[in-house]
Order: sequence, then C-alpha cells, then structure tokens
Amino acid sequence: MGFVYALIAAGLSLIFGLMEIVNFAHGEFLMVAMYVAFFAWALLKLDPLVSLPLAALLLGTLGFTVYHGIIRRVLDGPMLAQIFATFGLAVLLRSAAQFLFGVDFRTVSQPLLAGRVALGPVFIGVPQLAASVAALAAFVGLFLFLSRSETGLALQATAQDRHAAALMGIDTQRMFALGWAIGSACVGVAGGLLAMFFYIFPDVGTPFALLAYVTVALGGFGNVPATLAGGVLVGLVEAFGGLYLTPALKYSAVFALYLGVVLWRPQGLFGRF
Amino acid sequence: MGALAFPAVFTLPFPRHVMIMIFLYGALATAWNIIAGYCGQIALGQAVFFGIGAYTSSLLYTRVGLTPWAGMIGGVILAVLVSQVVGYPVFRLRGHYFAIATIAVGEIVQALIINWDAIGGGRGVFLPIKRPDSFLNFQFHTSKAYYYYIALGLLLLALGITRWIEGSRRGYYFRAIREDQDAAAALGVNVAREKLRALAISAGLTAMGGSFWAQYLLFIDPESVFPLSLSILICLVAVLGGVGTLWGPLLGAAVLVPLQEGTRVMLGGTGKAIDLLIYGALIIVISVAQPGGLMGLFGVSRGAGSAR
Amino acid sequence: MHRFATSLLAVFLVFAIVAAAPSGAVAQSKEIVIGVLYPMTGPTAQAGVDNKPVIEIGTDIANGVTDLPFPFYQKLKGMPGLKGAKIRLVFADHQGKPELGQAEAERLITQEKVHAIVGCWHSGVTATASQVAERHGIPFLNPESSSPGLHRRGLKWFFRTSPHDEHFTQAMFDFFRDFEKKRGVKIKTAGLTYDGTLFGADSGKIMKELAKKSGVDVTLDLQYKLQSTSLQSEVQRLKAANPDVWMPTSYQTDAILFVRTAKELDYNAKMVMAQDAGHISPDFVQAVGRDAEGTMSRAPFNTDLIDKRPVAKALNALYTKKHGKELYDFPARSFTGYMTLLDAINRAGSTDPEQIRQALVATNIPGDQLIMTWDGIKFDENGQNTHVKAIIIQLQGGKFYTVWPWDSATRDVIYPIPAWKDRK
Repeated sequence: MGFVYALIAAGLSLIFGLMEIVNFAHGEFLMVAMYVAFFAWALLKLDPLVSLPLAALLLGTLGFTVYHGIIRRVLDGPMLAQIFATFGLAVLLRSAAQFLFGVDFRTVSQPLLAGRVALGPVFIGVPQLAASVAALAAFVGLFLFLSRSETGLALQATAQDRHAAALMGIDTQRMFALGWAIGSACVGVAGGLLAMFFYIFPDVGTPFALLAYVTVALGGFGNVPATLAGGVLVGLVEAFGGLYLTPALKYSAVFALYLGVVLWRPQGLFGRF
Repeated sequence: MGALAFPAVFTLPFPRHVMIMIFLYGALATAWNIIAGYCGQIALGQAVFFGIGAYTSSLLYTRVGLTPWAGMIGGVILAVLVSQVVGYPVFRLRGHYFAIATIAVGEIVQALIINWDAIGGGRGVFLPIKRPDSFLNFQFHTSKAYYYYIALGLLLLALGITRWIEGSRRGYYFRAIREDQDAAAALGVNVAREKLRALAISAGLTAMGGSFWAQYLLFIDPESVFPLSLSILICLVAVLGGVGTLWGPLLGAAVLVPLQEGTRVMLGGTGKAIDLLIYGALIIVISVAQPGGLMGLFGVSRGAGSAR
Repeated sequence: MHRFATSLLAVFLVFAIVAAAPSGAVAQSKEIVIGVLYPMTGPTAQAGVDNKPVIEIGTDIANGVTDLPFPFYQKLKGMPGLKGAKIRLVFADHQGKPELGQAEAERLITQEKVHAIVGCWHSGVTATASQVAERHGIPFLNPESSSPGLHRRGLKWFFRTSPHDEHFTQAMFDFFRDFEKKRGVKIKTAGLTYDGTLFGADSGKIMKELAKKSGVDVTLDLQYKLQSTSLQSEVQRLKAANPDVWMPTSYQTDAILFVRTAKELDYNAKMVMAQDAGHISPDFVQAVGRDAEGTMSRAPFNTDLIDKRPVAKALNALYTKKHGKELYDFPARSFTGYMTLLDAINRAGSTDPEQIRQALVATNIPGDQLIMTWDGIKFDENGQNTHVKAIIIQLQGGKFYTVWPWDSATRDVIYPIPAWKDRK
C-alpha cells in the first residue's frame, strides 16, 4: 500500500511545491478517478489496468479545469481562502458523485489480475503487488519528467521562485496549470490502481486524503521524491502497527510517527521549507 | 438587544435551534480565531478540546453526580492542561507542518477515546433525562430559551475575551508573532509562552462549548465530539467571516449555519445530495469572490496576514 | 463588489426567513403527518435511499392507492379509524450525525407538526432524535436500530419493532449449540472483529459476554478503525489465530474490504458468523458475493423467505417495481415498523399523540400478517417488541438463504467453508 499512498501523495506534493496550496479536494479527485476506472470497466469492459491512461487523462483535464476555474482566482488570496475554496470543491465533487452515481458501493469484480504470492510468511495479493509496481513506475516516470525534461525543469524553477522564473521567460500560469494537470493525473493513476481491489463510493477518498497529507508532510513539503519515502514509511507503519499493536490504533501509530519525525526534524525528513 | 429578544419573537424551536447553533459555532470559531487569527497558528485540532469538555462534564455528572456546571469548569481545566502539554512540543513547528501535526494529535486522541473502554469507548455516554427542568442539572425540556441564553452567554464571553485581547499588550504580542515570529522574538516577545497562552484561552473556551453540546444533546460519542470534520468546520466558519477580526467568526457562523440548515431542510430529504451540491458551490463562489472573508463586504480590512 | 455583497445578503436573508418560517402547510385535521428521518447523504446513505420507497409504498397502501391483499393491510386501507384521513410524509436527512438527528426531529415536530416519527437506522442518531420526541411527547417508532441500550433509557414514547443485538447475538450462540447437536461440530474458539462505532462496540461487548456464558473461548478480540484504507494486518492476525468461527461486525465499506483482503492473503475461515449490517447489504453481495461464499449472518429477514411468505412476496413485487431492487433486510424492517405505527394510529382513531401512544402500547399484530418470521409484534413496558425472532442466513452461490432455525430453513448449512484453493 505504501507505493499507492506515495502516488496519491505525489500529486499533492507536486501542487504544493509549485504554489504552496494544499488541495483539500485531493481525496475527491481520487474518488473521481476510481469512478472513471469503474465505469470504464462496467461500460467498456476495460480492466482498470488498461484504463489507467484514460483515468490519468481525465483527471489531468479535471485538474487543469479546476486550476483555471477556481485556483487561479484565489492564488493571490490568503492561504485560508485557498483551503476554503478547495474544501468547497471537495463537498461539491462528493455530492455531485452521489447525485450522478447514487450511493451504492461498487467494485470491479474479476479484475485481470487476481491471486496472491507468498513472500516468506507474508502473502501479498497480486493486484496490490501490481499496483505497487505500477505506482513505483509512475513515480519514476514523474521523477524523470521533473528532472530531465525541459518542461519539468521549468516546473521546478517555477516552484523555486515564481518571479525569477517569470523573468526567465517561463509562463508561470501555464506551469501552474500544468502542475495541477500532472498532479491530478497522478491521482488518476492511483485511483485506477486502487479500483482493482478497493470498493468505490462517493465518500471513499476521505481517509486516503488524510494519509496523503501526512505522507507529504512526513517526506517534506515540496520534495517529490521524498514523498515516496514518506509513503513507504506510512505503509509499513500501518501494516506493522496493525500486526503488533491493536489494529484500532494503527493509524494512530502513523500519526505518532509523523509527530515524532517533525519534532525531530521540523521540515519533515527531506523538506526544503 | 435584538439577540436577547429573539426567543420572544420566534417561539418555534427550530429557528431557536438555528440561532443556538450560530451562537455555538460563533463562539467556537471566535475561540479558534484567538489562536489562528490573532496568533497566526493554524490549529486544526480544536475538536480535542471540544471533546474533552463534553466528556469531562458528562462523566463527572453520570459517574460522580457533579452538576454539569462544575463539570464544565473541570473540562476547561483539563482542556487547558492538555493544551499546554501538547502545545509545548508542537508549537516548535511552523506552517503546514504545524497544521498537520494538530490534525495528527486530534486523530490520535479520538482513537484513544474510542478504545478507552472505561469511559464507554465507541459506545459513548448517554446522559439520563432529568425532569423537571433544573438549572443545576443543566437540562431544559420545556423551552429552548435557556439553552439559547446560555449559548449567547458563551458567545459573549468569547467575544469579550477577544475584545480584551485586542486592546491589551498581549494582543500586540500575538499579532507580532503572526506577522513575523522571528522578529517578534528579536523584539523580546517570549514567543513560546505567548503561543501557549493563546492556545490555553482558545482551548478553555472550546471546552465550554463541548460541555454545552453534551448537555444540549444528552448523548455523546467519540464520532460526534472528537471528529476532524468538527475542527475543520470551526476553521471554515472563521475563515468565511474573516479571520483576525473581532466579528468575523460570528458573521461566518451567521451565514454558514443557516445556509447549511436551510439547504438541508429544503432539499435534504431527496437522497440526491442536492443540498450539499449547492452548499459546496456557494463556498467556492464566496472564496473566489471574497477571499478575505465576508467582513471585507463591510469595509473592514482584514487584520490577518496570511499564515505563510 | 457591492452588487455581489447585496445579492449575498439577499440570499442569506431568504435562507433566514425560510428557516424561520414554518415550512409546509399547517396540518389540516384530515391529514396524518409522519416524519421519516433517515440518512439520505453520507457514507450510509444507502439505508435511507432504499428505505424511502418502501415507506412510500406503505403510505400508498394506507391512502388506498395501492393494494396489499392481506387482512392486516386491508384493514388499514383508507385509514378507516380516522374516516379516510390522508397520510402525508415528510422526509428528513440526518447524514448519520446525532446532532442533525436531534435538530431534524425537533424541526419535524415543531414546524412540520408531525404526529409521529419513524427512524433513524443509526443507533447513535436514534438516541438523540428519540430524546427530542420524548421531550415533546410525540411517538417515536424505531424499526431497525439495534443498540441494546436504546430501550433501557426509561423513555415513554419510544417503540422498537426490531430485535436488538442481544437477541441477535443470542441467536448466533443458539445456532452454535444446535449445530453441534446436528452435525457434531463443536465451536470452541471465536475471533471477533468490530469497528469503533456505537454499533461495533456494543456488538463486541455482547459477543464477549455471551461467548463467556456459552463456553466459547474468544481467542482474538480486534477492534479496528471504521473505513480503514487497508485491512491487511487485521486479516493476518485472524489467520494467525485461526479461530473455529470468525465473527465480524462491520458496515458495508469494511465488510467488502475484509473479504477481498482475506482472499488475497489466503485466510480460510472455517465458519463466518457476521453481525448483519454491512455483510448482508446488496452491495456487499454484489461486490464480493462469490468470494464471501459461506458467510453466515444473523438477520430478522431474508429475501428467500419471500417465496415462503405470500405477504412478503406481494410487497416485494411492489418494491421491485418502484425501486428496481429486491426487498431485503433494511426496507423490510423499515416497512414493518412503519406499518405498526400506521396500525396504531388507525386504532387510536385520532392524531392525538397520547392516544397513538396508548394504541402502540396495546399493539398486538399476529406473526402471519408480517413479512418477517417473527411471532408477532407486542411491546413490553420499555417499548421493545418481545415477539421478535432472529434467523441465521448463509451466502450460497451468491445469494443468501435461510439456514436456521431448522424449520424455516431453505438450505442446509455449508460447513466448513471451502478453502480458496479449492474454489473456482
């Protein structure tokens, strides 16, 4: 699960690094992605694994639209107004999902991948394993894009200093919109992967979003690779906390880990802010 | 004046209920405003103090038989103690790290309460209905007017404390910390101590709200008094009205509560979530059109800088 | 900006006025107004959305629009006790939140002027909403909440038609006893998993008490967080403990995830005995029905009884036509509770709350008129129906069948549940 958490969080981290906005509707983006995967499966008979590009594309478009429709207008406002706007978006998306799709719980049954493999005494489901690998691959792809391609570098430059970047001839507006698109596409992929083994309903995103915030902060805001480390750590603590402590407190263990880390290093593990 | 006469004008319980909720959320948001609006620390764990207030007064009442009024004071004391113990380490953090840390604390506390069997765990606490109404028992079944005035009193207390802070030396310290913590420290403000004081005041007021809530509903469980959604709602109310202003949080409550109740009452029974659809859309519109909070409409400039 | 401010204030004012004015017409004498309070949005909205049509069917029956040709329902046709008064429903949404349950109950009573309230599914919401009804002296009929504490609060106006968790859990242990007699398999150890809600915590507590009484050893006692993002460690613990019976208490979300995780991690439970709720919802069956093969649950009603009970069959036809779904436990219980209330109002011959209350106290509905397999409906002094009977059902080939008590059973118990590797 750690890699999936990391991928969900990566989108959040990217957007944050770029313009210091925490997207409170992140969990709802995930929900939308899962519905995309579900309907691709239910109507077009596409396995979630196959429809991943579709989910990424649609979510990317959603991110782009949201940026131009809402975020651009509150960019210069105070941080709290931004939180407020994305919170409203979260409520809107969630209720829109209920309005359109109803409240039934949906699942993709008979996915392409099923079964399990044994790693010593521990069993791991194949869908989870595939999700982890795909999440890791998406992550590497994201990282390469950010560090190698010209656009990626422009994104990073914008993240570091938007005014300097603007002076260098980088269209920051375009970069911001692109950041939202890519960040949302990451969630699109994560949602598609998750749909292979998780149930889908309008409120599904909330618990994931909470973990995503912790994951991002744990790794350090604005550092996308560090988010991967954060995600893995969260996944491990969740699994082992549930195994050796009481499961009811496994998320408490995750939160306690976060508190421990930031009290020791107030910028998260590898943060630059 | 108008607020005092309101119960006489509107005799039906539902408008009174809406007014009580406005006062309660107004008070909670005002309390949050002290730590977040004036002192600049975006704390998203207010539900911890709210829950402590609710549980302390309820348990003291059901187990020991102590009047909820005394329990309320007990809740305030406990909440202040907890705020200091938790606040001491967490206040070293800044910005988003601090905000998420407060969420983490809130989630941990909720999980602990759910698993704490001796105080009811997930089953919560039922408060026995006592008749006839008595001020001592803090239960009024014949008329909501009592609850109305108590909630109003709570709000006035919160506003009064805020007003007092605004004008006092402490208020300047708080705002100095908000604008630039390092500069404030350089000027000789004991930053750590002032933050803890702001949190203590905020926590105490929030705990009183919690005790009131418990007596108003007569049933509490960890899902209803310790949730993250409550902490966020408190924040939303204040942000909507305008943080860092005296009247902003109350204005936010006066708009958000009727909006929420109104849309639900009119459209909530359909099962189609149209009410929340409208609610979400309006929040977006407001934040885009009036990012500084609704106080901006009245020409009150925001006192608050952003908490970047 | 000024225009915007003005329009915003106008919107606020409209809301303020609407919230303040008593909405809806003033109740006429020829009208019976009933408030229905269910979760219509939020994580458990399905319960409310699926119950709404069945309540409307019940209303149509009483208003003479629809026909359910059985004596008990014929008697209610046109509400002869009130000389043909019409029933008007007011639906309200509490989103699963106790404070909204309270506020909405209050609004229903004081502004919509309802004569009685039906609701609220969630035990926690029923707790606060019924207190409001008690305060105002309005009958509160609860068709489904199963927290045992609810009827022990000494309320005068609270009536519950459904069994509560103690009845249900007792049925599970009775089943274990009978099962040993019949098949010679003794259930010695049990593994419990339950969430941290009022429902989960209550269920866990009762299961532990009854297990102790019945000599079953609880070898695993796991509370987990509602709506977990992963249940891998929980299932691994189950696998390690490997009890004779796994007894889960979950809402839909976690129930689905538990089964999927058990499959992935190759946990083979020999027997699964679930506490209703998530494990019997149609979504659960649709999502993981095949994988949850052999899952048993306690229930007050099951769809296969439709064929055995003509009343249920007739109602099911109406329900399917209206809602496109088969009748199942939630709407069945909701309907039973609601019709009990209508019967009382009809006998009271009045919408006066006290007279309705007295009629409810005197309720005596024979079992053969119900869609449930109960012995009937009769309330004790706490307002709890004492004639309840729980059944045990099992998922076989993607459908639930009644397997206990033996005389109502439509199928034999599958035991042990086949291991994952032996299935296809």
